[in-house]
Amino acid sequence: MNWPDLSMGGYGFFVWGSYIFALILIVWEVVSLKQHQKTLKQQQRQDAQQQQRSSSVSPSVLTGSTNETTS
Amino acid sequence: MLRWIVWRDLTLAWRRRADILSTVFFFIIVVSLFPLGIGPETQLLRSIAPGVIWVAALLASMLSLNRLFANDLQDGTLEQLLLTPQPLFAVVFGKVLAHWIVSEIPLVLIAPLVGLQFDVPRDTLWILLVSLLVGTPVLSLIGSVGAALTLGLRGGGVLISILVLPLYIPALIFGAGAVEASIMGTSPAPHLYLLGAFAIVSLIFSPWATAAALRISLE
Amino acid sequence: MNLYKYASPATFYPLAGKMIPWFAIPSAILFIAGLYVGFFVAPTDFQQGDAYRIIFIHVPAAWMGMFLYVLMALYAGIGWAFNARLASMMASSIAITGAMFTLLSLVTGALWGKPTWGTYWVWDARMTSTLILLFLYIGFISLQSAIDDTRRADRAGAVLALVGVINVPIIYFSVQWWNTLHQGATIRILGKPTIAAPMLAAMLIMLAACWLYSVAVVLIRLRCIILEREQNASRFAEVNA
Repeated sequence: MNWPDLSMGGYGFFVWGSYIFALILIVWEVVSLKQHQKTLKQQQRQDAQQQQRSSSVSPSVLTGSTNETTS
Repeated sequence: MLRWIVWRDLTLAWRRRADILSTVFFFIIVVSLFPLGIGPETQLLRSIAPGVIWVAALLASMLSLNRLFANDLQDGTLEQLLLTPQPLFAVVFGKVLAHWIVSEIPLVLIAPLVGLQFDVPRDTLWILLVSLLVGTPVLSLIGSVGAALTLGLRGGGVLISILVLPLYIPALIFGAGAVEASIMGTSPAPHLYLLGAFAIVSLIFSPWATAAALRISLE
Repeated sequence: MNLYKYASPATFYPLAGKMIPWFAIPSAILFIAGLYVGFFVAPTDFQQGDAYRIIFIHVPAAWMGMFLYVLMALYAGIGWAFNARLASMMASSIAITGAMFTLLSLVTGALWGKPTWGTYWVWDARMTSTLILLFLYIGFISLQSAIDDTRRADRAGAVLALVGVINVPIIYFSVQWWNTLHQGATIRILGKPTIAAPMLAAMLIMLAACWLYSVAVVLIRLRCIILEREQNASRFAEVNA
């Protein structure tokens, strides 16, 4: 194993720049996807909760009871 | 049926002559912008003429594309055309032919005049005309696919441009290349043959693709 | 074993989830291995010094951009021909990853160009074709985002992708032609017949790493797309119930 010349013969900006840009793209892609997934899961939970609530509300609405749901 | 469609589109276009003229004016204005931006030096203008004129033709063609189906979509004719027993690609071919006659031929005819502004030699002006004559069908044909795909969408002309301009690039390369070869004194024939081949391939495949795209956009 | 059940997005969703780590982890390992070979084992190039080491990311990125476009068109075509929603979703998922690799290829190509040929951008056949490929990706992505109806978006994207994939060889050929006509002094260095074994090994390892990464990321995005469409569908059904 021979340690490479870290300055890349003076071309360090270009070589390291390339790999850093690649890393930025990869990280951005993965992070934004994870974020998106989290948001979608949240919405899924909210939708499920809403469904539960609406299915527990409707019987009282149908029977005309005076119970009011707190929103 | 084909003749009817072509005739109908030509008649409708004639009633809206202003639209056609605006395409030509756009072409002329765009071409005139380049010397204003770059400088009037004759040598330089002669060398950029093929590219500039061809690019302006591409842009002008693109602007005229939404006229292809949008008006028929609005008045309901397009849906009727889809229902006829005639094969849809024949209908498409008729409309594209009419579009070419109405929107592209004027460009072909004006181009040599514009070429004079760039001090293009006289023999080359002919080549310019021929290259556009062979190349503009490609613009109408491939453009029709883009017009069909983006039917009724917001985003309009810019969206069609993004879709269609990359596909125009081979026509641009061979078309402008032919004119440039003529200026340099070499034979423009290989460029024109390749351009013609591209035109024939587009002729065979695009009406079918456009028909498919129309069905997708209208269901 | 009935594999066709996996054509349903709902059934494929958990399978995709299980698959992801099997691609993500080996991908990370291969990236490290590839970079090790590329930087510690491959020797300094005789002509270009150490700047050439950019190719270990530039070349795999370029190849991935091209492979993914074809794969995207394939999935889009299958989705359209067989009315298979999952295939269309795959195409939409691949598009963004493919575009990113193409962008990476252009940027790293520019960064390689400056020390090697003196300018950041060289209008040679390969760079120009890659740029046009990026335009094709952008067209596909723009078209799909402009259409609200998912079925129409899927099918319209399929038409565009198929038209694009047929045009790619034509575009490549015409750009080659254009380039030889306006020949500059630059000659592509990668055409040289003898490439040192460690360099080739590093490139191939990095290519494999990029493939595995792509599969993992595309599957993650696919799951997001499945979730999104399912939610939109159920909300739509609720509103119309």
